[in-house]
Amino acid sequence: MADRVLDRVRQPLALADAWMNRLYGWRYNPLYHTGVVAAALLAAVMVTGVYLLFFYRIGSPYDSVARITNTIWLGPWTRSFHRYASDAALVATLIHLVRMWLQRRTWGSRALAWYSGLVLLFLILVCGWTGYVMVWDVQAEVLAREGARWMDALPLFSEPIERAFDGERELPAAFFFLNLFAHVALPVGLGVVFWIHVARVARPVLVPPKPLLWGMLGLLGIASFLLPITMGPAAHAFRLPGTAPYDVFYSFFLPLTRPAAPWLVWAGLLGLTGILVLVPTLLRPPLARRPAASVVDERSCTGCEQCWLDCPYEAIDMVERTDDRPYLVARVDPGLCTSCGICAGSCAPMGVGPPGRTGKAQLDAIARFCTTHLAQPGEIVIVACGRGSGGISASLDFEDAPVFPVQCAGNLHTSTVEYLVRSGAGGVLIVTCPPRDCWNREGPLWLEQRLYHQREAELKARVDQRRVRLISAGEREQAVVHDALAEFRAEVRALGSAEREESPAIDLECDVPEPEAAEAHQ
Amino acid sequence: MSRTRLAGGWVLGALATLALVGLSQVRYTAAVGPDGELRLAWRYRSETVEQCRRLTDDELAALPQHMRRDEICERRLQPWRLEVTLDGTSVADDTVRAKGAREDRPLYVFRQLPLPPGTHALRAVFTPIGESGRAPLELDASVTIETREVVLVTYDPDLDRLVLKRGP
Repeated sequence: MADRVLDRVRQPLALADAWMNRLYGWRYNPLYHTGVVAAALLAAVMVTGVYLLFFYRIGSPYDSVARITNTIWLGPWTRSFHRYASDAALVATLIHLVRMWLQRRTWGSRALAWYSGLVLLFLILVCGWTGYVMVWDVQAEVLAREGARWMDALPLFSEPIERAFDGERELPAAFFFLNLFAHVALPVGLGVVFWIHVARVARPVLVPPKPLLWGMLGLLGIASFLLPITMGPAAHAFRLPGTAPYDVFYSFFLPLTRPAAPWLVWAGLLGLTGILVLVPTLLRPPLARRPAASVVDERSCTGCEQCWLDCPYEAIDMVERTDDRPYLVARVDPGLCTSCGICAGSCAPMGVGPPGRTGKAQLDAIARFCTTHLAQPGEIVIVACGRGSGGISASLDFEDAPVFPVQCAGNLHTSTVEYLVRSGAGGVLIVTCPPRDCWNREGPLWLEQRLYHQREAELKARVDQRRVRLISAGEREQAVVHDALAEFRAEVRALGSAEREESPAIDLECDVPEPEAAEAHQ
Repeated sequence: MSRTRLAGGWVLGALATLALVGLSQVRYTAAVGPDGELRLAWRYRSETVEQCRRLTDDELAALPQHMRRDEICERRLQPWRLEVTLDGTSVADDTVRAKGAREDRPLYVFRQLPLPPGTHALRAVFTPIGESGRAPLELDASVTIETREVVLVTYDPDLDRLVLKRGP
């Protein structure tokens, strides 16, 4: 039930992905890069912040910011860029959060990234609020008073914080010093939490593709030049805040919370936080349906380390063997394994993978598939990733081409492709999700290298590569599959009929003899 | 990538940036209407009230030897009552208790009362609840308030009385 609801909610996102892919292509689709876009923008915010810091005075906050805005060289541009980049970073972070939630990439070993992501979001918001308070204009005053009102509802302070703003006495410089300290110190904490955020992924991508990065920064730079931010009226303890410019991204809650009692605000905040914290638990499938972690068949493991290299979550270690073979053996940490199955595609001797999805299990499945689906030699078979692929993976066929579904294209063992071609398939069209949107991070990337670039567990040279085509398509990009299939069909037709073998035997070239058998052989 | 798509990409990027810039500076009125505000805010340290009683034999027996004292005393600051009338109408009548779990921190008064622009008769009385050696604090004043202006009623410890305070 929850899965169906989530799938429904995900459809607008999938549609937006498809539109963005049409404009930017999957490589530069900003929706696929929200995490790194947020990180890059925050880096830009820090750089501009350092420049602004030189001119900020805690003794005269409003006047010093007005000076930056009006007279300092590059001041208005830097301040505007600082603001717009902060806003864009928050937007990117929120889209990233929603994306991970809708794609259910929150539970198991990914929970650490989810929780640290929530902390990052909180730190970004607090950093933004302290930044606005630094200006000490009307928006700053309203934000500060609202925050004080919330805090005063807690039985923590003997004297209400709001007292600082009631006009009895001048606001002390210590307040602005503490605020500035928090604004400068929080980004350091942000860096630490960001490190934790990516700690469990191998080869984390930290920078967006250059065209996207420079395009984004360029647009923000131009906007900062053409539409610089202005100063709101100064805060005034003896004047009620009138109309002033507010930043919706960081002050969106004011119209909701200001009329509400503080306990109601706290109840709402706690409720929202509780839901976000519970997301990994709520989205985790029940034990019976939970995908099992990969297992290693130690008899088959040759210690080649490829699964260890390919694992996107660093869930595999190479350890000493307990038998007398002179090489290491792979060991999966079930606590870190997300059951992505990428190791199954990386293991030439088919000795590792989640139960039921190892290379050997795939070969069994494809043999059954060929018996039932490959009635006519020369047919094109579509191997479809379960996440993207224009949503065709759940279908038995697409435009008369039988569909063989795989949970992730990165699972696909190249021997399966070989089996299909040698069984007489005219061609194998492999449809992955867009590589930057792989729910398992690196599935299409490794598959492409195994098919065309001799990465370990490579497609054997005896397979006619003209009969194998790899494309990517998002969940709502069926037209892409349609076009690719039509084009591939025409090309395959030109190749003539395919040779067909009955039950082709796949060489398990790395199959390691049992020690006893090896000794007997000697 | 075709030129049309590239141009479309830039246009969409520019529109998104414009939306971002627009939403970054949305005009919002935090306090709607012409009303001003009468703000009552002060910190006041009232007298310490001590209540002592003798422990019963049973209570003493229940305590460890080294903690037995014949008499125990609890100290707290005396609560005061705040009454405010504006133009003859009562707008506040509250008991102000000292802060802290043991009520040993100062009393803190903070009330924000909306007030239409114009001249108003204000009477604020802050009186101790129970016996006290201190006299009540009283303020009778005619307050003229302008649109969106805040007038503060606060306690001046040097003068030991409530005073009106306006902004510069």
